[in-house]
Amino acid sequence: MTNISVEDITNDVAQHEPTTNWKRYFSFSTDHKVIGIQYIVTAFILFLVGGIFAMVIRGELITPQSDLVDRSVYNALFTMHGTVMLFGWTFPILTGFANYLVPLMIGARDMAFPRLNAVAFWMIPIAAILLMASFFVPGGPAQAGWWSYPPVSLQNPTGNLINGEVIWLLAVAISGVSSIMGAINFVTTIVKMRAPGMTFFRMPIFVWNVFSAQIIQLFGLPVLTAGAVMLLLDLTAGTSFFDPTKEGDPVLFQHFFWFYSHPAVYVIILPVFGVFSEIFPVFARKPLFGYKIVAVSSLLIAGVSGIVWVHHLYVSGTSAWMRMFFMVTTMFVSVPTGIKVFAWTATIWGGKLRFDTPMLFAFGALILFVFAGITGITLSSVPIDVHVNNTYYVVGHFHYVLYGTVTMGMFAAIYFWFPKMTGRMYYEGLGKLHFWLTFIGTNLNFFPMHPLGLQGMLRRVSSYAPEYEFWNIVASVGGFLLGVSTLPFILNMISSWMHDQQAPKNPWRAIGLEWIVSSPPPVENFEEIPVVVGEPYGYGKSEPLVAEH
Amino acid sequence: MDSSLIAEELKYSSDEHTHDEEGNKMFGFIVFLLSETFIFLGFFTAYIVYKTTVPNWLPPGVSGLEVRDPAINTVVLVSSSFVIYLAEHALARHDLMKFRQFLLLTIAMGTYFLVGQGIEWSHLSFGFTTGVFGGMFYLLTGFHGLHVLTGILLQIIVFGRSFIPGNYDTGHFGVNATSIFWHFVDVIWIVLFVLIYIWK
Amino acid sequence: MKIRNILIISAIAIALTAISIWIGNLAYSWLPPQGAAESQLVDNLFSFLITLGAFIFLGVTGTLLYSAIFHRAEKYDTSDGPPIEGNITLEVVWTAIPVLLVFWIAGYSYQIYEQMGIQGPMQAMHLHMPMAMRSANAAPMNEDMETRESEDAGNINVLPVEDIEVDAKQWAWVFRYPEIGITSTELHLPVNHRIRLAMQSEDVIHGFYIPAFRVKQDIIPNRNIDFEFTPIRIGKYQLTDSEFSGTYFATMQADVVVESPEDYKKWLKEAANRKPCTANNQAASEYAQASKQLIKSWATVAPAQAPVVNYSNS
Ligand code: HEA
Ligand code: HEA
Ligand code: CUA
Ligand SMILES: [Cu+2]
Repeated sequence: MTNISVEDITNDVAQHEPTTNWKRYFSFSTDHKVIGIQYIVTAFILFLVGGIFAMVIRGELITPQSDLVDRSVYNALFTMHGTVMLFGWTFPILTGFANYLVPLMIGARDMAFPRLNAVAFWMIPIAAILLMASFFVPGGPAQAGWWSYPPVSLQNPTGNLINGEVIWLLAVAISGVSSIMGAINFVTTIVKMRAPGMTFFRMPIFVWNVFSAQIIQLFGLPVLTAGAVMLLLDLTAGTSFFDPTKEGDPVLFQHFFWFYSHPAVYVIILPVFGVFSEIFPVFARKPLFGYKIVAVSSLLIAGVSGIVWVHHLYVSGTSAWMRMFFMVTTMFVSVPTGIKVFAWTATIWGGKLRFDTPMLFAFGALILFVFAGITGITLSSVPIDVHVNNTYYVVGHFHYVLYGTVTMGMFAAIYFWFPKMTGRMYYEGLGKLHFWLTFIGTNLNFFPMHPLGLQGMLRRVSSYAPEYEFWNIVASVGGFLLGVSTLPFILNMISSWMHDQQAPKNPWRAIGLEWIVSSPPPVENFEEIPVVVGEPYGYGKSEPLVAEH
Repeated sequence: MDSSLIAEELKYSSDEHTHDEEGNKMFGFIVFLLSETFIFLGFFTAYIVYKTTVPNWLPPGVSGLEVRDPAINTVVLVSSSFVIYLAEHALARHDLMKFRQFLLLTIAMGTYFLVGQGIEWSHLSFGFTTGVFGGMFYLLTGFHGLHVLTGILLQIIVFGRSFIPGNYDTGHFGVNATSIFWHFVDVIWIVLFVLIYIWK
Repeated sequence: MKIRNILIISAIAIALTAISIWIGNLAYSWLPPQGAAESQLVDNLFSFLITLGAFIFLGVTGTLLYSAIFHRAEKYDTSDGPPIEGNITLEVVWTAIPVLLVFWIAGYSYQIYEQMGIQGPMQAMHLHMPMAMRSANAAPMNEDMETRESEDAGNINVLPVEDIEVDAKQWAWVFRYPEIGITSTELHLPVNHRIRLAMQSEDVIHGFYIPAFRVKQDIIPNRNIDFEFTPIRIGKYQLTDSEFSGTYFATMQADVVVESPEDYKKWLKEAANRKPCTANNQAASEYAQASKQLIKSWATVAPAQAPVVNYSNS
């Protein structure tokens, strides 16, 4: 299989459409790079949609009364905000980067199943449109939060068969099927399509993390699907799996939901860890510290993530042994995660640091991640979680990861690979402005949520006691600042893409197969499949990465 | 494998464009089935949780499920796994006639199972919405039945393809995948049968 | 050189420890007043975790920021840094230390959890964990508490457990005092008594949460949920629904009044003499108002009948 000759491919390239034709981004293309960018742009549009919902939420919460929007509208807004941000922003953008980068990084011409790949992508816009359409059905969109716990999610005040909750379930199911298709594709590609010499322990950490994340998708998503099917049947066909008035068990749904949705947060964070592992060595000009153990820790995180879900159910009537067992397993995630954090710190230590925008974002995101991880550890301790569960303390924790780490990590990735993807350089000044607005905004917005939660302010409320007003105003100001912070970014991306500031093949002097091809890479990526002979992070060692001919 | 086949193998393995496409597909398919297993595991877990916690498990008037006919059904379905194996084997020896015969037999056995399941359903005194038990029963057997149906459809396609001249000369991915899928459906059924019919 | 480094590192570690302890002590002030015996236990644990967390956070980010300031590349220096690929000793150490820390945190959390003896819904669990039955009051607490404890200790053991029934519905709380058979929308509790609640929900999952008591428990419909805690401080607190329960979730609040046993008895008597009447219910009134509006909002589940109780604070 690894026996590769190339003569017949090189002349094949000319037959494909030129890589600069913008129309192909709106077509059913099977090129993994086109699909990657399709994912990334779609995800970003959905990020703006989710962000606009968040702006209304922050607008409502700037005063203690429920005044800006109706209570049911507020409930719909946070439900949609959470859903769109997770299923529309984080998953698709990470799939986008994985799509774009994995074949390049392992020296393959495309994904294992290019058509499946395209189908998986086009399900995302369909799911998103469906979800948005639910604003126009009687009764409005789903209003039971992104967990959709029964019995609240089963209460159907309009009595219609087509209602927001049903549409929500369908949209999530479509996005789930798309993710499973993607997962099969990634796992097969990584196992079967590596270039000669690209052994597992020569793969970039990004690939390791995508691999680990996709394994989680494969065992987690089906379980969520099972729960979602049962919920849908309860809602539409009259069964009573989760209906407590007919002997159903609503808590069972919670187990189904979190069995997947907890590991899902690692699906989201692992590729970001991968991005960190790519960026830090480049901008510190040092090899990644402890490559092997960092690689393996990704799989460890994926493994442990499957046995911690009950930390979301501490107060749901779980028995004492469960609370204690899952407390310990949850805390253990900090071990492989700590290995990574320390390895990055050691990579940066004593390097020749340069703070271009990708590095700034990655560096800032790492600091915010350590903070978020530590609040996560406090949450995993049962007695503390009993107090802060369902308060803004939790909201603060997860926005520090989801915004501070994942979203900022994604910005780092966008800046880092933008020259590769578009063949253009972005504007450094605008990038730095974007960083500082984002970093300040994130802390202003999400730090105040911790004291609020500790004081007992609940999440998912549109009105609250007046004593919580001060921190809420700060948070709202931070939120609006985050809204503003996206403007220089959008400006930067659009004007750089338009502008003709050609980017070189390898603007960061980085090591990696994606940097030995032109920017943007040609269709089918490599003129000749490279033969890998070197380490992925050989900075300062001046050894070749691929064999010369 | 005769020497011409070996020569062909070599030719393919040196041609990058057909490098192991079949291998990739098979790998992907197995990954898919592993993932699919987890849906069933989800449903099985739900069944076990309900059965051990719901106070009045069986619907009023139902004292237990009839086991005899489903047992016969089980034997037929499980045996069909061996039959499709024989079909696969025949194809590997390029014996197309035998291949078709065994495949037809598999299809017949699968259909027998489905019809038997349908007859059982039509005689039951409880429905899909009769409490958690009814829901679980029809959900599990129905979801599995859907897989049996899919398996039969795949077998029909594979069967039809055997009439296209030369279709199976270059590879048998379709047949092998169908066969693996059929074994999968079988194994799931055995667990299901034990859970629903045997476990009192 | 070696010794100088060790000295510097020790000095930094000591400084970090001191700052972390200071932050850990500060953590008490981020929490609401300690209204129940449970609060003190939780706060001690929280303070401990914040101390440790601050140490880790400051240690890691301090190192990072130090690098960011002092390890910058010169403007035209394009050379690479030292090609250090790893260090087995270091890697083993930073795997082992978190493992030990996890055991420490988990062990301490477990201890606190046992002392709280939160009476979960699973009665059976206490059979396996007799420790959990111990009242939070029996646990050692900080100085001034301990002295107060010993004064009251006799009392606590003599006074019977107070049984109260809690009924949650969309969107109202009703409290029933079974011994005298009165109902109220305000929860009155005698101070320094072990309180035992029997909680039920009529419709969806609700959550019983009093921030000042640091206790929270979901109420699952069709199940009886038993729950225990011990208020130790006279005053007025807020009880809120902590599990999202639909449109008017935010309005599902109730006052909690912790009073001396004498006042409590007095209140019970007074309430028993009142005729049951319909209590004010915010969800119901907002719903009625919404249905009068010209522009109809989205359909919503109608609130349950406003409770009819002996005592309501409005
Ligand atoms: C990408 C997203 C992401 C990530 C990575 C994490 C990471 C972690 N999370 Fe978080 N979490 C969420 C997203 C995420 N979480 C979301 C979305 C929710 C709420 C969902 C909802 O309710 O809507 C949530 C909720 C949530 C809860 C439930 C709270 C509640 O509802 O009551 C808990 C409880 O245990 C928890 C714990 C943790 C822990 C222990 C980690 C750990 O993985 C963190 C590990 C990292 C570190 C610890 C830092 C680095 C390590 C070191 C420097 C080593 C040394 C450290 C120690 C020894 C402590 N999280
Ligand atoms: C990746 C995930 C992600 C991201 C990025 C965000 C981003 C933000 N979230 Fe997030 N949030 C969740 C995931 C995420 N959230 C989840 C899962 C929940 C739980 C839902 C539930 O309970 O069910 C939640 C819940 C949640 C709540 C709690 C609601 C409640 O419980 O009542 C709040 C409240 O402040 C909030 C605020 C914000 C804000 C202000 C941002 C900002 O960072 C957004 C900033 C981005 C933009 C603003 C882009 C748009 C900008 C423009 C269009 C141009 C400029 C516009 C203006 C200046 C107006 N979110
Ligand atoms: Cu393999 Cu093209
Ligand atoms: Cu979790």
